[in-house]
Amino acid sequence: MEKKPLNRRSFLKKGLAATAGAALFPSIIPASAMGRNGFVPPSDRIVMGAIGVGGMGRGNMAGFLKSKAVQYVAVCDVDERHNNIAKNMINKTYGNKDARSYKLFTEFLEKEKLDAVMMALPDHWHGIIGVATAKKGIDIYGEKPLARTIVESRAIVDAANKNNIVWQTGSWQRSRPNFYKAVSLVRNGVLGKISKVEVGLPDGQRSIGIKGVQTPPSEVDYDLWLGPAPKVPYRGVLHFDWRWMMDYSGGQLTDWAGHHVDIAHWGLDFDKIGPTEVKAKGVYPVDGIYDVPVEYLIEAKYENGLDMTIANSGYFIGRRKSKEWKREKPWMLGMGTVWYGEHGWIHVNRHGIWASNPEFLKIEEKDLSQKIYKSTDHIQNFIDCIRSRQATITPAETAHRSISVALIGEIAMQTGEHLKWDYKNERFTNSEYANRLLQRPFRSPWKLPEF
Amino acid sequence: MKKYIFNILSLSIVILAILSSCQEKKLRALVVTGQNNHNWEVSHEILSKILDNSEVFSTDVAISPAQGEDMSAFQPDFAKYDVIVLDYNGDDWPETTQNDLEQFVKNGGGLVIYHATNNSFPNWEAFNKMAGLGGWNGRDENSGPYVYYKGDKEVKDNSPGSGGTHGPQHEFIVQHRQPDHPILRGMPEKWMHSRDELYSKLRGPAENMTVLATAYADPKKDGTGRHEPMLMTIKYGKGRVFHTALGHVGKERPIAAQSAGFIITLQRGAEWAATGMVNQELPIDLPNVSTPLILHNYKPYSLDELFRRCKNYEFGKSQKYLNLISNRIRLAGGDVEKLKVFEKKIIETLKSDASADSKNYLCRELSWMGSHDAMPVLKELEKQEATREMAQFAIERISK
Repeated sequence: MEKKPLNRRSFLKKGLAATAGAALFPSIIPASAMGRNGFVPPSDRIVMGAIGVGGMGRGNMAGFLKSKAVQYVAVCDVDERHNNIAKNMINKTYGNKDARSYKLFTEFLEKEKLDAVMMALPDHWHGIIGVATAKKGIDIYGEKPLARTIVESRAIVDAANKNNIVWQTGSWQRSRPNFYKAVSLVRNGVLGKISKVEVGLPDGQRSIGIKGVQTPPSEVDYDLWLGPAPKVPYRGVLHFDWRWMMDYSGGQLTDWAGHHVDIAHWGLDFDKIGPTEVKAKGVYPVDGIYDVPVEYLIEAKYENGLDMTIANSGYFIGRRKSKEWKREKPWMLGMGTVWYGEHGWIHVNRHGIWASNPEFLKIEEKDLSQKIYKSTDHIQNFIDCIRSRQATITPAETAHRSISVALIGEIAMQTGEHLKWDYKNERFTNSEYANRLLQRPFRSPWKLPEF
Repeated sequence: MKKYIFNILSLSIVILAILSSCQEKKLRALVVTGQNNHNWEVSHEILSKILDNSEVFSTDVAISPAQGEDMSAFQPDFAKYDVIVLDYNGDDWPETTQNDLEQFVKNGGGLVIYHATNNSFPNWEAFNKMAGLGGWNGRDENSGPYVYYKGDKEVKDNSPGSGGTHGPQHEFIVQHRQPDHPILRGMPEKWMHSRDELYSKLRGPAENMTVLATAYADPKKDGTGRHEPMLMTIKYGKGRVFHTALGHVGKERPIAAQSAGFIITLQRGAEWAATGMVNQELPIDLPNVSTPLILHNYKPYSLDELFRRCKNYEFGKSQKYLNLISNRIRLAGGDVEKLKVFEKKIIETLKSDASADSKNYLCRELSWMGSHDAMPVLKELEKQEATREMAQFAIERISK
């Protein structure tokens, strides 16, 4: 980091206080540059880029572009169409034509002098690009799940820590009031000792049938899109739809574990630990192009005897028939996190918060003694932490522990075994079959970068 | 067979007891057909094959005279059988034949009502009671209520209107409503059925009837928006009736009757109708909620057959046989001995003239459950361009 003294980033890290020195400023200063009206002087702005600017990436970027604290300068995507739309978004925001675009992330990271990057890539690319970016000392807002495999996920955490970067995971539910409230109540012992947690995630994508081999769109570097994944001919599976194929993702399970397992862990203060046992069952497609499980049931056990059940929401809907489970709309029932304790339960998802005893929900924040990390804006939390160099609300280790439960569950589905998991060493202690699945071999020449 | 058992019997009763448990006498089934608005020439053979494939039944067929011909001599000997399977939608039978069937069931015989059979005999009261529900041929509010599911509740709806309709054929999910019924026990509670007519607005006496399974008739497919009954049981006198509304067979490939869910429930439903119990074991490959499981030969695939059929796999074509192999590997639950059997078969396939795409798929499986026994063939595949990368994928994991 010392090698690039002109980098905005070092300036941010070392010189925040010094910039207040009035003598350095020109004598006529526009009000907007003095931090009034939310304006941040250009010299203070966080220089940002984006890797992966499909639907999710551009959505995130739109959130960042509302902030005057950042200045987007470049984007990187294997699809030229994505790059063009994203560049236009940036240029429109700043009223200029300065945004640059890259196809190859190595070139993007090499040529641009960035403070921070927003990453929204297919899961199979998270490990390599996450580590390569962290290695450059660039702060990262990265999409969940942290990575496709335990080994890659762990590598991201270690690379982030070693390079002292600020990492924020796109597990934005942590910055929403209903989740904060549920977690505050559980952490303050409102339910007493927690014995059981249920996590409901979406039912799987069904099928698009069987698709023949096709020519990839000319704007896409398909080989680069595949990257470390096995080389297979193009069958029309690209943006968004990669979610339903095991070479790239674990389906709804690994997509949503980064949200609701993440919330479950937060409520239990389990952000640095993992289960000790796991068994699981999946329903896999008989035919068709997609191969991720469409239904899944994972039963995990933690050191203190706590049981966590993760399943597609249909599983829980079928089991929550009594009156206390009545919801305003039926789809509010199966999704989200439910903690069960000595005194009852609390259920939270994106539609609301419910409890076995309505009195639980009337408890106010000021009456709770244990304060937990509070963020009301996920992107702003990242920006604040870039400046303060403090941990975000969802640092890499937290995201790693959240997705680990789904990833070892996925392995248990694959081997059909009742697995014992050593979460400290991140190895299974009773199955070498399962240990082999902790990593996916990369297609040459791709490797996880040393860091 | 009978003679054989008799000979043994003369020697020892103990031996008979042992033998009868290993080599039980088959149940006798009679498929009755000969007229139908569907392709009965094909469907009755399919039904016979399905029943015989269960290894529980020995099946005969009775073919009625053609439509408009003299029926007076049509009088199958129902009493000789344990279960009568009706694949019939046509002219009324002679009264004596109708009475014979009714008495047969009343006295404890088994009956299976299959698909368009429930269109037939609109004016034969006992038939309609035995079938529970029917459709078309003038059925209306006088025939009985509409029966369907709303949420978790069965609804009997007496509103006026005609009985029987269906939209264009399509794949749909069959949902079990009595998952612990002997016919359904152990099966996935929801499974994707292959393209079929989704019979809807069936109405009838529905007396002593239990709806075992329903399917949602999606309005997007010209459906009623209701969960329509697909599988039913009816108690009639001392007899038992199994009614399946599934399994359309027309001029095209009979894909609805090749659906594993249709086959398994028919086999088990017929046994239950015959005996009140189900002793058949469930097959390894069960249908699930994802995509239909088609069984071309109306019986489960043997492992050898799966490995033979997967050899021609080409990327972009159906990978069903490979998926079924993967599923069986998962079901081995990490059992070393069982996985060895799969590994041996995979190695054989990798050495064979199977397609590169098939070999590449199997390398993924081998990568986690294979042993060093697989290394020689993987090294060979590594030398070939079309299989190099996936061979390396497997080698990397196995050698760790």
